[in-house]
Amino acid sequence: MPAPTFQARDDSGTSDLLERILDRVQRDLPGAVGLAVSLHDRSHDPAGTVLATRGVGGQFVDAQLDGLGGPAIDASEHQVPVLSPLLWSDDRWPALSPESLTARDPGHQSVWQAISGAAATPGVWRADATVVLSAVLGEAADASTITTLIGYEQLITAAMMTAAAREGSQIADMLAVLQSRGAIEQAKGAVMGALRCDADTAWSMLRRASHDSNVKLRVLAVALVELIGGAPAEQPAVGAPIVPDEAARRAAGLLWAVLSAAPRSD
Amino acid sequence: MTHSRFALDSDPRQRPPVLVVTGEIDLANVGEFEKAMVQAGAGAPAVTIDLTGVDYCDSAAVRALFSMAASTELTLVVGSAGHITTLLGISGLDRVATVVVRD
Repeated sequence: MPAPTFQARDDSGTSDLLERILDRVQRDLPGAVGLAVSLHDRSHDPAGTVLATRGVGGQFVDAQLDGLGGPAIDASEHQVPVLSPLLWSDDRWPALSPESLTARDPGHQSVWQAISGAAATPGVWRADATVVLSAVLGEAADASTITTLIGYEQLITAAMMTAAAREGSQIADMLAVLQSRGAIEQAKGAVMGALRCDADTAWSMLRRASHDSNVKLRVLAVALVELIGGAPAEQPAVGAPIVPDEAARRAAGLLWAVLSAAPRSD
Repeated sequence: MTHSRFALDSDPRQRPPVLVVTGEIDLANVGEFEKAMVQAGAGAPAVTIDLTGVDYCDSAAVRALFSMAASTELTLVVGSAGHITTLLGISGLDRVATVVVRD
Protein backbone atom coordinates (compact mmCIF):
# COMPACT_ATOMS: atom_id res chain seq x y z
CA MET A 1 0.00 0.00 0.00
CA PRO A 2 1.48 3.38 -0.92
CA ALA A 3 2.00 5.91 1.84
CA PRO A 4 -1.18 7.95 2.17
CA THR A 5 -1.18 11.40 0.67
CA PHE A 6 -3.03 14.26 2.22
CA GLN A 7 -4.53 17.40 0.72
CA ALA A 8 -6.30 19.25 3.45
CA ARG A 9 -7.55 22.20 1.47
CA ASP A 10 -9.41 19.86 -0.90
CA ASP A 11 -10.94 17.86 1.86
CA SER A 12 -13.40 19.94 3.78
CA GLY A 13 -14.47 16.88 5.78
CA THR A 14 -11.05 16.65 7.35
CA SER A 15 -10.81 20.33 8.16
CA ASP A 16 -14.26 20.09 9.70
CA LEU A 17 -13.10 17.22 11.86
CA LEU A 18 -9.91 18.99 12.90
CA GLU A 19 -11.83 22.18 13.60
CA ARG A 20 -14.24 20.30 15.80
CA ILE A 21 -11.23 18.98 17.71
CA LEU A 22 -9.96 22.55 18.03
CA ASP A 23 -13.34 23.54 19.49
CA ARG A 24 -12.75 21.00 22.22
CA VAL A 25 -9.19 22.22 22.80
CA GLN A 26 -10.61 25.75 23.11
CA ARG A 27 -12.96 24.57 25.83
CA ASP A 28 -9.99 23.14 27.75
CA LEU A 29 -7.87 26.25 27.12
CA PRO A 30 -10.32 29.13 27.50
CA GLY A 31 -7.43 31.62 27.45
CA ALA A 32 -6.43 30.65 23.90
CA VAL A 33 -6.73 33.42 21.29
CA GLY A 34 -5.50 31.13 18.54
CA LEU A 35 -5.28 27.39 17.88
CA ALA A 36 -4.01 25.59 14.81
CA VAL A 37 -3.20 22.17 13.42
CA SER A 38 -0.40 22.31 10.89
CA LEU A 39 1.41 19.74 8.78
CA HIS A 40 5.17 20.07 8.41
CA ASP A 41 6.56 17.94 5.61
CA ARG A 42 10.26 18.22 4.90
CA SER A 43 9.93 16.57 1.50
CA HIS A 44 7.51 19.22 0.25
CA ASP A 45 7.79 22.81 -0.81
CA PRO A 46 6.46 24.78 0.99
CA ALA A 47 7.43 22.71 3.99
CA GLY A 48 4.36 23.51 6.05
CA THR A 49 0.59 23.95 5.73
CA VAL A 50 -2.07 25.04 8.18
CA LEU A 51 -4.79 22.37 8.13
CA ALA A 52 -7.22 23.88 10.61
CA THR A 53 -7.37 27.11 12.55
CA ARG A 54 -9.31 28.84 15.28
CA GLY A 55 -8.93 32.51 16.17
CA VAL A 56 -5.56 33.82 15.02
CA GLY A 57 -3.93 30.35 15.19
CA GLY A 58 -3.54 30.00 11.42
CA GLN A 59 -1.98 33.46 10.96
CA PHE A 60 0.33 32.79 13.91
CA VAL A 61 1.65 29.52 12.43
CA ASP A 62 1.81 30.92 8.86
CA ALA A 63 4.02 33.75 10.16
CA GLN A 64 6.33 31.21 11.80
CA LEU A 65 6.49 29.19 8.56
CA ASP A 66 7.33 32.34 6.60
CA GLY A 67 10.64 32.63 8.41
CA LEU A 68 9.86 34.23 11.77
CA GLY A 69 10.33 30.90 13.54
CA GLY A 70 8.50 29.95 16.70
CA PRO A 71 7.17 27.13 18.86
CA ALA A 72 5.41 25.25 16.03
CA ILE A 73 8.57 25.19 13.91
CA ASP A 74 10.76 24.00 16.78
CA ALA A 75 8.21 21.37 17.79
CA SER A 76 8.27 19.91 14.28
CA GLU A 77 12.04 20.16 13.83
CA HIS A 78 13.06 18.74 17.18
CA GLN A 79 10.06 16.48 17.76
CA VAL A 80 9.48 17.69 21.29
CA PRO A 81 6.69 19.70 22.91
CA VAL A 82 7.66 23.38 23.06
CA LEU A 83 6.45 25.79 25.73
CA SER A 84 6.90 29.53 25.97
CA PRO A 85 5.32 30.85 29.19
CA LEU A 86 5.78 34.49 28.09
CA LEU A 87 6.34 34.69 24.36
CA TRP A 88 7.40 38.33 24.04
CA SER A 89 10.18 37.99 26.58
CA ASP A 90 11.38 34.69 25.08
CA ASP A 91 14.86 34.87 23.52
CA ARG A 92 14.45 31.73 21.37
CA TRP A 93 12.72 33.44 18.43
CA PRO A 94 14.06 36.98 18.11
CA ALA A 95 12.24 37.59 14.80
CA LEU A 96 8.84 36.70 16.26
CA SER A 97 7.39 39.84 17.87
CA PRO A 98 4.12 41.81 18.05
CA GLU A 99 5.66 44.20 15.52
CA SER A 100 6.62 41.54 12.96
CA LEU A 101 3.21 39.90 13.28
CA THR A 102 1.46 43.25 12.95
CA ALA A 103 3.51 44.05 9.85
CA ARG A 104 2.17 40.87 8.25
CA ASP A 105 -1.34 41.12 9.60
CA PRO A 106 -2.24 44.69 10.70
CA GLY A 107 -5.88 43.76 11.24
CA HIS A 108 -5.00 41.84 14.39
CA GLN A 109 -2.57 44.32 15.92
CA SER A 110 -4.36 44.45 19.28
CA VAL A 111 -4.48 40.63 19.44
CA TRP A 112 -0.75 40.32 18.73
CA GLN A 113 0.05 42.84 21.43
CA ALA A 114 -2.14 41.04 23.95
CA ILE A 115 -0.48 37.66 23.42
CA SER A 116 1.22 36.21 26.46
CA GLY A 117 2.09 32.49 26.29
CA ALA A 118 2.35 29.90 23.53
CA ALA A 119 2.78 26.14 23.22
CA ALA A 120 3.05 23.50 20.48
CA THR A 121 3.16 19.70 20.50
CA PRO A 122 4.27 17.44 17.64
CA GLY A 123 2.91 14.10 16.53
CA VAL A 124 4.50 11.94 13.87
CA TRP A 125 2.41 11.60 10.77
CA ARG A 126 4.71 10.00 8.21
CA ALA A 127 8.43 9.34 8.38
CA ASP A 128 9.29 12.86 7.25
CA ALA A 129 6.13 14.69 8.22
CA THR A 130 4.93 15.99 11.55
CA VAL A 131 1.50 17.28 12.53
CA VAL A 132 1.70 20.05 15.12
CA LEU A 133 -1.00 21.33 17.45
CA SER A 134 -0.34 24.96 18.43
CA ALA A 135 -1.92 27.27 20.95
CA VAL A 136 -1.32 30.96 21.55
CA LEU A 137 -2.78 32.45 24.70
CA GLY A 138 -3.87 35.81 26.02
CA GLU A 139 -2.47 34.71 29.39
CA ALA A 140 0.78 33.09 30.52
CA ALA A 141 1.26 29.47 29.45
CA ASP A 142 2.50 26.78 31.84
CA ALA A 143 3.21 23.06 31.92
CA SER A 144 -0.50 22.28 32.05
CA THR A 145 -0.94 24.04 28.68
CA ILE A 146 1.41 21.45 27.21
CA THR A 147 -0.30 18.52 28.93
CA THR A 148 -3.67 19.73 27.61
CA LEU A 149 -2.31 19.78 24.04
CA ILE A 150 -0.67 16.37 24.50
CA GLY A 151 -4.07 15.00 25.49
CA TYR A 152 -5.35 15.78 21.96
CA GLU A 153 -2.46 14.30 19.98
CA GLN A 154 -4.02 10.91 19.46
CA LEU A 155 -7.33 12.40 18.46
CA ILE A 156 -5.60 14.51 15.83
CA THR A 157 -3.62 11.54 14.54
CA ALA A 158 -6.85 9.59 14.35
CA ALA A 159 -8.45 12.42 12.36
CA MET A 160 -5.49 12.41 9.97
CA MET A 161 -5.75 8.67 9.55
CA THR A 162 -9.44 9.02 8.81
CA ALA A 163 -8.60 11.49 6.06
CA ALA A 164 -5.92 9.24 4.62
CA ALA A 165 -7.99 6.12 4.66
CA ARG A 166 -10.83 8.04 2.94
CA GLU A 167 -13.13 5.22 3.62
CA GLY A 168 -15.76 6.56 5.71
CA SER A 169 -18.09 5.36 8.28
CA GLN A 170 -16.24 2.83 10.37
CA ILE A 171 -13.26 4.97 11.30
CA ALA A 172 -15.40 8.08 11.59
CA ASP A 173 -17.76 6.30 13.95
CA MET A 174 -14.84 5.08 15.99
CA LEU A 175 -13.45 8.58 16.17
CA ALA A 176 -16.81 9.87 17.34
CA VAL A 177 -16.79 7.29 20.09
CA LEU A 178 -13.24 8.20 21.06
CA GLN A 179 -14.23 11.86 21.17
CA SER A 180 -17.33 11.41 23.23
CA ARG A 181 -16.33 8.76 25.71
CA GLY A 182 -12.60 8.40 25.52
CA ALA A 183 -10.60 5.42 24.37
CA ILE A 184 -10.15 4.03 27.85
CA GLU A 185 -13.85 4.00 28.58
CA GLN A 186 -14.46 2.30 25.26
CA ALA A 187 -11.79 -0.32 25.87
CA LYS A 188 -13.16 -0.89 29.34
CA GLY A 189 -16.56 -1.49 27.79
CA ALA A 190 -15.05 -4.03 25.42
CA VAL A 191 -13.39 -5.92 28.26
CA MET A 192 -16.63 -5.87 30.26
CA GLY A 193 -18.45 -7.28 27.26
CA ALA A 194 -15.91 -10.04 26.69
CA LEU A 195 -15.64 -11.11 30.30
CA ARG A 196 -19.13 -10.10 31.41
CA CYS A 197 -17.43 -8.50 34.35
CA ASP A 198 -17.96 -5.22 36.18
CA ALA A 199 -16.20 -1.95 35.43
CA ASP A 200 -13.68 -2.30 38.26
CA THR A 201 -12.53 -5.74 37.09
CA ALA A 202 -12.26 -4.48 33.51
CA TRP A 203 -10.27 -1.49 34.69
CA SER A 204 -7.78 -3.57 36.70
CA MET A 205 -7.46 -5.99 33.77
CA LEU A 206 -6.52 -3.13 31.43
CA ARG A 207 -4.11 -1.69 33.96
CA ARG A 208 -2.42 -5.02 34.47
CA ALA A 209 -2.09 -5.55 30.70
CA SER A 210 -0.65 -2.05 30.37
CA HIS A 211 1.82 -2.70 33.15
CA ASP A 212 2.85 -6.17 31.91
CA SER A 213 3.37 -4.99 28.33
CA ASN A 214 4.91 -1.67 29.33
CA VAL A 215 2.48 0.11 26.99
CA LYS A 216 0.71 3.25 28.16
CA LEU A 217 -2.86 2.60 29.13
CA ARG A 218 -4.38 5.07 26.71
CA VAL A 219 -2.24 3.81 23.83
CA LEU A 220 -3.23 0.25 24.66
CA ALA A 221 -6.87 1.32 24.82
CA VAL A 222 -6.74 2.95 21.38
CA ALA A 223 -5.00 -0.13 19.98
CA LEU A 224 -7.66 -2.37 21.50
CA VAL A 225 -10.51 -0.26 20.12
CA GLU A 226 -8.86 -0.30 16.69
CA LEU A 227 -8.41 -4.05 16.89
CA ILE A 228 -12.00 -4.71 17.83
CA GLY A 229 -13.28 -2.17 15.30
CA GLY A 230 -11.28 -3.96 12.61
CA ALA A 231 -9.73 -0.76 11.27
CA PRO A 232 -7.33 0.72 10.44
CA ALA A 233 -4.65 -1.53 11.90
CA GLU A 234 -3.22 -2.55 8.52
CA GLN A 235 -3.39 0.96 7.09
CA PRO A 236 0.14 2.22 7.73
CA ALA A 237 2.39 0.51 5.20
CA VAL A 238 5.68 2.38 5.27
CA GLY A 239 6.50 5.22 7.60
CA ALA A 240 2.85 5.97 8.30
CA PRO A 241 1.20 6.99 11.60
CA ILE A 242 2.86 5.29 14.54
CA VAL A 243 0.17 5.81 17.14
CA PRO A 244 -0.57 3.27 18.45
CA ASP A 245 2.73 1.56 17.75
CA GLU A 246 3.58 -2.06 17.09
CA ALA A 247 4.17 -2.84 20.77
CA ALA A 248 0.76 -1.41 21.65
CA ARG A 249 -0.95 -3.43 18.93
CA ARG A 250 0.83 -6.57 20.03
CA ALA A 251 -0.22 -5.99 23.61
CA ALA A 252 -3.80 -5.30 22.51
CA GLY A 253 -3.81 -8.45 20.39
CA LEU A 254 -2.56 -10.51 23.29
CA LEU A 255 -5.10 -9.01 25.67
CA TRP A 256 -7.92 -9.59 23.22
CA ALA A 257 -6.81 -13.20 22.63
CA VAL A 258 -6.85 -13.82 26.38
CA LEU A 259 -10.23 -12.14 26.76
CA SER A 260 -11.79 -14.01 23.85
CA ALA A 261 -10.64 -17.35 25.25
CA ALA A 262 -11.65 -16.60 28.84
CA PRO A 263 -14.59 -18.57 30.18
CA ARG A 264 -17.57 -16.36 30.83
CA SER A 265 -18.92 -16.26 34.30
CA ASP A 266 -22.55 -16.82 33.30
CA MET B 1 17.76 -3.43 25.38
CA THR B 2 18.22 -0.45 27.62
CA HIS B 3 19.34 -0.83 31.17
CA SER B 4 17.73 1.99 33.02
CA ARG B 5 17.24 2.46 36.70
CA PHE B 6 14.76 4.61 38.55
CA ALA B 7 15.92 4.75 42.14
CA LEU B 8 14.28 6.76 44.86
CA ASP B 9 16.93 8.18 47.13
CA SER B 10 17.07 5.94 50.18
CA ASP B 11 16.16 8.45 52.87
CA PRO B 12 12.37 8.89 52.73
CA ARG B 13 12.55 11.86 55.11
CA GLN B 14 14.62 13.78 52.64
CA ARG B 15 12.74 16.86 51.46
CA PRO B 16 12.18 17.23 48.65
CA PRO B 17 12.42 13.59 47.62
CA VAL B 18 15.12 12.88 45.03
CA LEU B 19 14.60 10.44 42.18
CA VAL B 20 17.88 9.32 40.65
CA VAL B 21 17.63 8.08 37.07
CA THR B 22 20.38 6.34 35.10
CA GLY B 23 20.47 4.90 31.59
CA GLU B 24 17.98 5.87 28.90
CA ILE B 25 14.41 7.13 28.99
CA ASP B 26 12.39 6.51 25.85
CA LEU B 27 9.02 5.24 24.72
CA ALA B 28 9.90 1.74 25.89
CA ASN B 29 10.28 2.58 29.57
CA VAL B 30 8.62 5.97 29.97
CA GLY B 31 5.72 4.32 31.80
CA GLU B 32 8.13 3.06 34.43
CA PHE B 33 9.67 6.52 34.65
CA GLU B 34 6.25 8.12 35.14
CA LYS B 35 5.40 5.65 37.88
CA ALA B 36 8.70 6.30 39.65
CA MET B 37 8.08 10.07 39.49
CA VAL B 38 4.56 9.77 40.86
CA GLN B 39 5.82 7.52 43.65
CA ALA B 40 8.59 9.97 44.46
CA GLY B 41 6.16 12.88 44.48
CA ALA B 42 3.47 11.24 46.58
CA GLY B 43 2.62 13.52 49.46
CA ALA B 44 5.43 15.96 48.64
CA PRO B 45 4.87 19.45 47.21
CA ALA B 46 8.22 19.34 45.39
CA VAL B 47 10.34 16.68 43.69
CA THR B 48 13.93 16.64 42.51
CA ILE B 49 14.89 14.39 39.61
CA ASP B 50 18.58 13.71 39.12
CA LEU B 51 19.18 13.15 35.41
CA THR B 52 22.99 13.39 35.49
CA GLY B 53 23.25 9.62 34.89
CA VAL B 54 20.89 9.64 31.89
CA ASP B 55 22.71 9.15 28.55
CA TYR B 56 19.69 9.62 26.33
CA CYS B 57 16.06 10.62 26.54
CA ASP B 58 13.50 11.28 23.84
CA SER B 59 10.31 13.30 23.56
CA ALA B 60 8.40 10.73 25.63
CA ALA B 61 10.54 11.72 28.61
CA VAL B 62 10.00 15.43 27.87
CA ARG B 63 6.23 14.86 27.84
CA ALA B 64 6.42 12.97 31.14
CA LEU B 65 8.48 15.77 32.70
CA PHE B 66 6.00 18.44 31.52
CA SER B 67 3.22 16.39 33.04
CA MET B 68 5.11 16.20 36.34
CA ALA B 69 5.86 19.94 36.22
CA ALA B 70 2.13 20.60 35.83
CA SER B 71 1.37 19.04 39.21
CA THR B 72 4.41 19.66 41.38
CA GLU B 73 7.35 21.94 41.90
CA LEU B 74 10.00 20.23 39.84
CA THR B 75 13.78 20.50 40.08
CA LEU B 76 15.95 18.80 37.47
CA VAL B 77 19.62 18.09 38.04
CA VAL B 78 21.59 17.73 34.79
CA GLY B 79 25.18 17.50 33.60
CA SER B 80 26.62 20.65 32.03
CA ALA B 81 26.51 20.68 28.22
CA GLY B 82 24.74 17.64 26.91
CA HIS B 83 21.86 16.31 24.89
CA ILE B 84 19.45 16.60 27.82
CA THR B 85 20.38 20.17 28.69
CA THR B 86 19.77 21.09 25.03
CA LEU B 87 16.40 19.31 25.06
CA LEU B 88 15.32 21.19 28.20
CA GLY B 89 16.19 24.50 26.51
CA ILE B 90 14.44 23.73 23.20
CA SER B 91 11.27 22.48 24.85
CA GLY B 92 11.09 25.29 27.40
CA LEU B 93 11.01 22.79 30.27
CA ASP B 94 13.76 24.88 31.83
CA ARG B 95 11.19 27.66 32.23
CA VAL B 96 8.71 25.66 34.28
CA ALA B 97 11.20 23.55 36.25
CA THR B 98 14.27 24.63 38.19
CA VAL B 99 17.34 23.33 36.39
CA VAL B 100 20.47 22.72 38.43
CA VAL B 101 23.63 22.13 36.39
CA ARG B 102 26.18 19.91 38.05
CA ASP B 103 29.55 19.26 36.45
